[in-house]
Amino acid sequence: MIRLTPARLFTVVAIAAAALVAIVLGALATGPAPLSLTEVFRVLVLGEGTDGARDIVLGVRLPRVVLGVLVGAALATAGAVFQALLRNPLADPYVLGVSGGAALAGIAVLALGGVVALPTQSVPLAAFIGGIVATGLLYWVSGGRGGSGPTGLLLTGVVFNAVASAGIVFLASIAGFFEGSRIFLWLIGQLSAVEIDAAGLVGASVLLGLAVACVFARSLNLLALGDESAAELGVPVESHRRILLLATSLMVGAAVSVSGLIGFVGLIVPHALRLLIGSDHRLLVPATALCGAGFLVLSDTLARSLIDGRELPVGAVTALLGGPLFIVLLRRSQSRSRLP
Amino acid sequence: MIAAMQSGSPRQRCARSFAFAFAFAIVFAFGVALGVAPTAAIATADPAPSLPRLVSLNPSLTAIVERLGADEALVGIDDYSARIAPALADRPRVGGLFDPSLEAVMTLRPDRVLLVAGLEQESHGASLRRLGLAVEVFENERYEQVLSNIERIGRMVGQEARAAERIDAIRAMRAAVEHAAAGRARPRTVIVLDRSPLYLVGGETFLDELLAAVGAINLGAEVAKGYPRGSLEWLVAAAPELVLDLSPQVETEGALAFWQRWPSLPAVKSGRVLALDATRVSLPGPDLDRALRELAIAVHGESIEMAIDRALAPRSAP
Repeated sequence: MIRLTPARLFTVVAIAAAALVAIVLGALATGPAPLSLTEVFRVLVLGEGTDGARDIVLGVRLPRVVLGVLVGAALATAGAVFQALLRNPLADPYVLGVSGGAALAGIAVLALGGVVALPTQSVPLAAFIGGIVATGLLYWVSGGRGGSGPTGLLLTGVVFNAVASAGIVFLASIAGFFEGSRIFLWLIGQLSAVEIDAAGLVGASVLLGLAVACVFARSLNLLALGDESAAELGVPVESHRRILLLATSLMVGAAVSVSGLIGFVGLIVPHALRLLIGSDHRLLVPATALCGAGFLVLSDTLARSLIDGRELPVGAVTALLGGPLFIVLLRRSQSRSRLP
Repeated sequence: MIAAMQSGSPRQRCARSFAFAFAFAIVFAFGVALGVAPTAAIATADPAPSLPRLVSLNPSLTAIVERLGADEALVGIDDYSARIAPALADRPRVGGLFDPSLEAVMTLRPDRVLLVAGLEQESHGASLRRLGLAVEVFENERYEQVLSNIERIGRMVGQEARAAERIDAIRAMRAAVEHAAAGRARPRTVIVLDRSPLYLVGGETFLDELLAAVGAINLGAEVAKGYPRGSLEWLVAAAPELVLDLSPQVETEGALAFWQRWPSLPAVKSGRVLALDATRVSLPGPDLDRALRELAIAVHGESIEMAIDRALAPRSAP
């Protein structure tokens, strides 16, 4: 591992932040509506411009970019944290079943909301609560004598996700036509300007998760070596693991509540960065958050501007971009160092 | 590892909870199965011998059979049909639009199974044919297709006269609204089928044709044919003068509040955002005349009703 110096940390974070800012500005200037760069500049910087341009830049593009930044940062960071905590390179933000709980609750409201007169606006809140309930369950399972090691947690996640997806299939099969199409998009993942109403709650959860991951980055380095080694080096393994699990799960639940299940961000971004900058989590966590945000905003910009007047679900774009890239990186990594 | 999971008492509690949850899920699933199976098995009173036994897998076809007074012929319907036709809620159900139970359909011994072309329905049609059932496939994207469906179902249930009456009424209404709308302003309109995700009425659909008949320009036709998933940015940039929001469970006040997020929309500025009841307007069923009248009122205001009635009067006079 290359030694981490303040200068190296600053350089990497500054480059990632600059890339994110460039992608965000590009995303705000791109879309199916024919707006010139000057018009976008006038709206963003001078606060003027026609009503139509303001609605498009501030009312349609900006909310999606903001959600893309939050969700992308959350998913990528959660991926990095879970891969280290569970010592499993295939771990992704959804591995522990928190997303399953969030998706099940959100989809329950989508499918049955009409029956019990719940408005569709309550979907993100229900999903958020579902994520918290699943996190609580995880806390309960990971507690107890000696706690559960990575394998126990992984198995719990597998079981919980399986039960949740069975519930989702059940709900989808009794849902009507429109509910069915909403559920479908939820499962692929999408960003929608309308969900910006929930941005406060999501933003707070994501910031908390990011802060915890940064503060405990050194523990992550040691936990990735194995519980015994970490304990020998003075890490209170159980308590640190649990704090990281909870904060990260809360962040994932919040992200899923507004975007559904967007795949590959949490898998591809941390692995790509490990190959580029090494596996020191003090550097990896902030870089992953920034690059995850940039990757999702870029994917979403493609999703909403590739075909004029139509939308593609961003989850399909991240998978189409991320899948092949992941395979290439995996091939390369076989001839280089092993994944964590 | 497994041994470790079984030994600790919290592990055991956890395992017990999961076991309980599974048991509950299984009992629940059987409950659902038992709740459904008998309804399918005990077919309601047989229709009169002159009527065929029909199973309809699509709400628009169900509505046509019902409207022609032949609802007795329906020995089974899909869940969605039951939702929009409460009078038929007691009929045996055979499942959803996309996942009808072939077994439930078989049990009902239908003479014909009615379903719609496209979607996944046709693959169910193929399976049902292999099981030896007569399957009738209908197309219902375009206006003329809907009218010919009414005629075809009329023949099937021996209600040719009623079907012809219905078709005449729809044609007369179309002529009347076209006449009444002639010379009036043609607002640039978007019909929203669902907001989030955004689905629009595109070109080459019966709703596109109805909108043209009532004198409005369907902006959605620019996006694609059929019922495309639209981009919100496209909609804001297209600057519709009228937004007809057919999303489920939406009232006009709620619709206006939602679209006010984008105050530059001309439709918002002039307050021309209307919620319409999708089951009354967007069903390619037997009541396109009602849909035409409601769309005409939505586009031109209530004042057009008199003009429509005047245009209809000579035809309906004895």
